[in-house]
Amino acid sequence: MLVTITRPGLVRLGLCKLPPFISRVSLTEASNQKKKKKKMTVTNSGIQYAVQIITKHFGNLVAKVCETLLKSGPLNLGALIRSTALTPQQVKNSLLILVQHNCVQPFTQESKAGLKVQYMAVYDNILHRLRFAKFLAVVAQELDDDCKQLLAGLLEHGRLTQQQLMDRANQKSKSNSSQVQNAAQDNFIRLVTARFVERCPAPEPLLEEAPEQEGPKKPRSKSAKMAQVSETIEQRVLAAARPMEAIRFLITTNPETDDPSQKSENNSSSMSVGEKRKFDDLDIGEHGSNDKEVILWRANFEQFIRCLRHKACVENVRARHDDGAAVVLRAVLKATRMQETKVKTDYSVPLKMGAIYNEVIDSAAGRNLTKVSVKASLHLLCGAPPVRGGYEGEGEDEDEDEDEDVPYSIDLKKIIELLQNDEVESIVLKRYGQDACRIFRLLTSQSKPAGQFFETDKISVDALVDKKETPKILYKLWKDDYVHMEKLSLTTAKQSQVMVWKVHKSIVWEHVLDEMYHAAYNLVKRYDHEREENKEVTNTPKEKRVGELEKKANRFLGVRKIMALSLVKLDDALMLFHDF
Amino acid sequence: MSRSQGPSALKRKRLDSQSGSLTEHESKLYDAIRSKTDMGMSLQDLRRETGLQNNLFTKAIKTLQAKQLIKEVKNFENKTRKHYMATEFEPSKEITGGAWYDNGQFDTEFIKVVKRELVKVIYDQENATLAEISQAIRMKNFLTVNLSDQELKQILDALVLDNEVLKVVSTGMGGYKAGKECYKCCKRREPNLASMASIPCGVCPRINQCTPDGIISPTTCEYFKKWLEF
Ligand code: SF4
Repeated sequence: MLVTITRPGLVRLGLCKLPPFISRVSLTEASNQKKKKKKMTVTNSGIQYAVQIITKHFGNLVAKVCETLLKSGPLNLGALIRSTALTPQQVKNSLLILVQHNCVQPFTQESKAGLKVQYMAVYDNILHRLRFAKFLAVVAQELDDDCKQLLAGLLEHGRLTQQQLMDRANQKSKSNSSQVQNAAQDNFIRLVTARFVERCPAPEPLLEEAPEQEGPKKPRSKSAKMAQVSETIEQRVLAAARPMEAIRFLITTNPETDDPSQKSENNSSSMSVGEKRKFDDLDIGEHGSNDKEVILWRANFEQFIRCLRHKACVENVRARHDDGAAVVLRAVLKATRMQETKVKTDYSVPLKMGAIYNEVIDSAAGRNLTKVSVKASLHLLCGAPPVRGGYEGEGEDEDEDEDEDVPYSIDLKKIIELLQNDEVESIVLKRYGQDACRIFRLLTSQSKPAGQFFETDKISVDALVDKKETPKILYKLWKDDYVHMEKLSLTTAKQSQVMVWKVHKSIVWEHVLDEMYHAAYNLVKRYDHEREENKEVTNTPKEKRVGELEKKANRFLGVRKIMALSLVKLDDALMLFHDF
Repeated sequence: MSRSQGPSALKRKRLDSQSGSLTEHESKLYDAIRSKTDMGMSLQDLRRETGLQNNLFTKAIKTLQAKQLIKEVKNFENKTRKHYMATEFEPSKEITGGAWYDNGQFDTEFIKVVKRELVKVIYDQENATLAEISQAIRMKNFLTVNLSDQELKQILDALVLDNEVLKVVSTGMGGYKAGKECYKCCKRREPNLASMASIPCGVCPRINQCTPDGIISPTTCEYFKKWLEF
């Protein structure tokens, strides 16, 4: 009996079917607590990093307000003033800035005292602030430099009316010809049509009563549940505030004519000042100085993230397969971009061969591809249940007279997963060495998302690692939260405990993300420090930098370059794990 | 690292003639050891099983060894424990740890060489099944040890985990039967993102103790200092 228990094969079955004589040993307190902490979607390091961004962009007061909202979830004005210990005016001004820059979304909630406005920090939008250069590059590539200029204004100011945008374009071109005006108008339409620009969300949408099992409403602070609850609140608020699809990208040529948005109060992306005054906590519509309808526009971050996600997928396919497959994937994603309903979609929208081929030969890179090669690439991309380390072409479904009408859908989630794996593996490799990386890959190659338990000896054999070293490596990985361990006690055995290990991907991935936030924060912090240290150099005019100063200046140049580049790359990884 | 003998090659010597001249104790001991064939027995187990007195036991072991009827082998699970086996057997994998252990020691060098050769073979053939790889390795004749297909597969799986080799299932297009498992070399990838791994904090052992204004902090960090030395 004993022998069969300790043989690796059995443990591989996983713990669900443990024979009765094996009992699980409960985990230590410490690791239980760790687990709980990880359930939070936005970790402390994440908040720290977001606050750092806001501090740099808007100063300490605004950051204080933002931090309070991030930490405690949605608050009303009174509570916010109390928690921050700032003056009402300071808090109001800070909120104005945060709302203007889409970092806070107010919403209305019904309480005994009537309607109450609450303020909620929008974490993702805060982080997007460091991605503006990437967003602008997307527009420059997809549209052109003029559109990029127009967008730059919007990013700089957060929210603008169409007129303000036009005025800005005029100022920039320094001539006020109607030609410039028309071109700006056209570019604006192009931005909206491509969905890079959208109408702003409703200023203070009413949040409907929570669906049943959201739990007791009152204690919305401090408990561990908070983060999860507020996550759902965040989603609900954003959904309530989002303009209906029909008007989200609708440009009314004459803003004074009646607007469809007015018909649905909650989804209104525009606001009349009178209406707004009803919740007179804040005076948000600073651009609306008269009582006419004011439609505010802003950058549609969702669309930018979608584009960047697509780009990451395409580049990954290029690296793993070839240019042909990359061109085909890009064509598919471009053709279906408007139909995607959410950013983190698992599969590309199904598209038929004919449509794909047309799109492919329409692109510069795909002009010379033949139908046969496009089809081959598609098979490579959608072939079969992908395996680790690449795609697996599946044998069976090789249909000779394949119909043109079969729609193809590509597993984007898998592509993203492979990228994420690469990133985590590179960390494990660098920190713990090649043997550890092989073990880690073995443990993550299991199809079950929660991983599968492996016994120590089995790991040693499968990953071809020295039997004596294996437990040591596993212990190191476990100590740093990269693998999960359980002790099985065998009640009939003299050797009474067996250790089994697995990687619970979602837990480890969140842990990695948390460390990334931490690393990003540190990178920025260190950069500020370096800049401070080199003030003397940078304040000296170029021609006067000689000798020691010149050396220092050159070093600082190098520092700036490598740090900026690292932050851009690290932010790519943050998106990979948080947004994609 | 050269290994002159295959662990699985059994040297069969006829030793029966010699065993005739053994004492009763020696016979008992020898039979016990021999009955375990290529698994052999540890000193402790032998003592327990034969129930011989200490001095008799030690003497008998010595005699059997002197007559070359039994030999001491290394058990990779526990190198300090004495382990005996009849001379006619070669220790089984359970004792030696298989092809990857040499005298109880994990043979990193040997594995490295085998890995390198396998990658070469796969690279030359672009796509290869296990049988083809095994054939090619045999033809090359570079190993003094004969590796079984199972052992080759173990190395191949490790290479897959190393990200050096890709295991794919044939679509039936490249001349293989559909569904056949093949190995091919990974495309030499452009360096992946590795954004964390390329900055100090990404591989920092002390990131958990690092705080903005603590003793370990990004402003005073030595790792950063080193990294930013130009
Ligand atoms: S700043 Fe230095 S000590 Fe802190 S996490 Fe980064 S490398 Fe480690």
